[in-house]
Amino acid sequence: MNLNSVWYIAKETGRNLVYNIWMTLASVSTVAISMFVLSFFLVLTVNMTHLTTVLQSQVEMRVFINANVPRHSEMTLLKQADQWPGVRKIQFFTKQQAADSLKKEFPDQRDLLTLISKSNPLFDGFNVYTKNPNEIPALAVRFQHEKAVHNVVYEGQVVSRLSRLSVIMKWVGWAVELLLGLATLFIIVNTIRLAVFARRREVAVMKLVGATDWFIRWPFVLEGLVLGIVGAGVADLVVSQGYHWLIMAATGALPFWPMAPYAQVMAKTWDFTLIGGLVVGGVASIVALRRFLKV
Amino acid sequence: MIRLENVSKRYGNGHYGVIDVNLEIHRGEFIFLVGPSGAGKSSLIRMLYREELPTSGEIYLDEFRLSQLRRTQVSRLRRQLGVVFQDVKLLTNRTVFQNVAFAMEVVGAKGHDIQKRVPQVLELVGLARRRNNLPHQLSGGEQQRVGIARALVNNPVYVIADEPTGNLDPETAFDIIKLLNEINRRGATIVMATHAKEIVNQMHKRVVAVENGRVVRDEARGAYGYEP
Repeated sequence: MNLNSVWYIAKETGRNLVYNIWMTLASVSTVAISMFVLSFFLVLTVNMTHLTTVLQSQVEMRVFINANVPRHSEMTLLKQADQWPGVRKIQFFTKQQAADSLKKEFPDQRDLLTLISKSNPLFDGFNVYTKNPNEIPALAVRFQHEKAVHNVVYEGQVVSRLSRLSVIMKWVGWAVELLLGLATLFIIVNTIRLAVFARRREVAVMKLVGATDWFIRWPFVLEGLVLGIVGAGVADLVVSQGYHWLIMAATGALPFWPMAPYAQVMAKTWDFTLIGGLVVGGVASIVALRRFLKV
Repeated sequence: MIRLENVSKRYGNGHYGVIDVNLEIHRGEFIFLVGPSGAGKSSLIRMLYREELPTSGEIYLDEFRLSQLRRTQVSRLRRQLGVVFQDVKLLTNRTVFQNVAFAMEVVGAKGHDIQKRVPQVLELVGLARRRNNLPHQLSGGEQQRVGIARALVNNPVYVIADEPTGNLDPETAFDIIKLLNEINRRGATIVMATHAKEIVNQMHKRVVAVENGRVVRDEARGAYGYEP
């Protein structure tokens, strides 16, 4: 294909888009809405994954050892447990260290402080971090079965629920996206069908004077791709501005809430929406051409 | 050369458009295809530019064997042909110049070749002054001239015309035939289906008569032979 043909095809694509401006706008908006919803779910899942990771990095499980267990037995258990599947990290603390950290956490609780200073009722123990928060309950049971263990405390249920929720969100997101994708596909197919219909005379003449099939098809394919990519661009613009605003607002109102960083979220949404836009636009034009353009 | 060998065309409804036609058309000839309405002229014409394929038999056009062409070869075949229609099929939102240039653009011609060639063809068909007019600003005869200019612009070896004067008054029709005759004199082969008795009788060209899908008469300097 030479430069004249490329120029001609670009010109024809532009002409189609402008002549059918209302269909163009309808298609761009549906792509944009569909991609916006995709981005919304992406932002949500990226943030939930981020939150889960942050919570995971905090202490997940505390295992307390019976008071009469000698130090060497504690160390043996520590070494064994470190090898258990699912354990990411395990740290030993003495009851003295436990008391110190308690003092730090609650400096105003005088009664408590007096109590633990007189005779420390706390236990030695382990801080256990897991690879996957879902493994916490099973590990807790395993520790409970050890004779030396007094009891196990964990807050992992929040994390485990969160990670389950983010998996569900991901699937719901994909399902909604699939439906919206089909709707978008349908509208772009229709736009291109109209373009083919509006240009049936041109197409007939092109065929008669010996234009190749792909020369006839390209302007329509390009039109679908442009509709897809512009729609995705619009959605990205809205989402990036919106998320920027959300981060600013969250820093003010919920300073303890860990928001996923802007760049991380945007990189993901740009990738997905632009590829999504191109795929939807491209597939739609191919479907439309197969059905409506007999070359 | 165009050669038709035992060509038949049967449509889906069982009706035969063309039955067992054998015909040879040599380069440089001017041929009138005549016959009553529904005789099979248009079916023959459409098979020549491969809008339709024969149900049986074979059509050869120079090196092309029409029923064996791959899709990519169909466009190559059509670049050898110029096709003219009764209803012209001009693009209404483009000027005379753009309509003719369109035929060059879509086969990937270079811009400066288009700028050079289109005015030449418009000069030939006598529309140099109308180049910036839109089709609706032209008379029927002028529109048909644009159609012929478009068919000629890519220098076809064969010009195939399906009743190009069908919508025109006799005087304008004669102008169009004179134009086609001039194009023939310059080397193009013309195959023209027509009902125009006066024209056929005055031109003394080869006449092939078709009735009920069969060739019933083929005369080197023939007459129309029917009451239209």
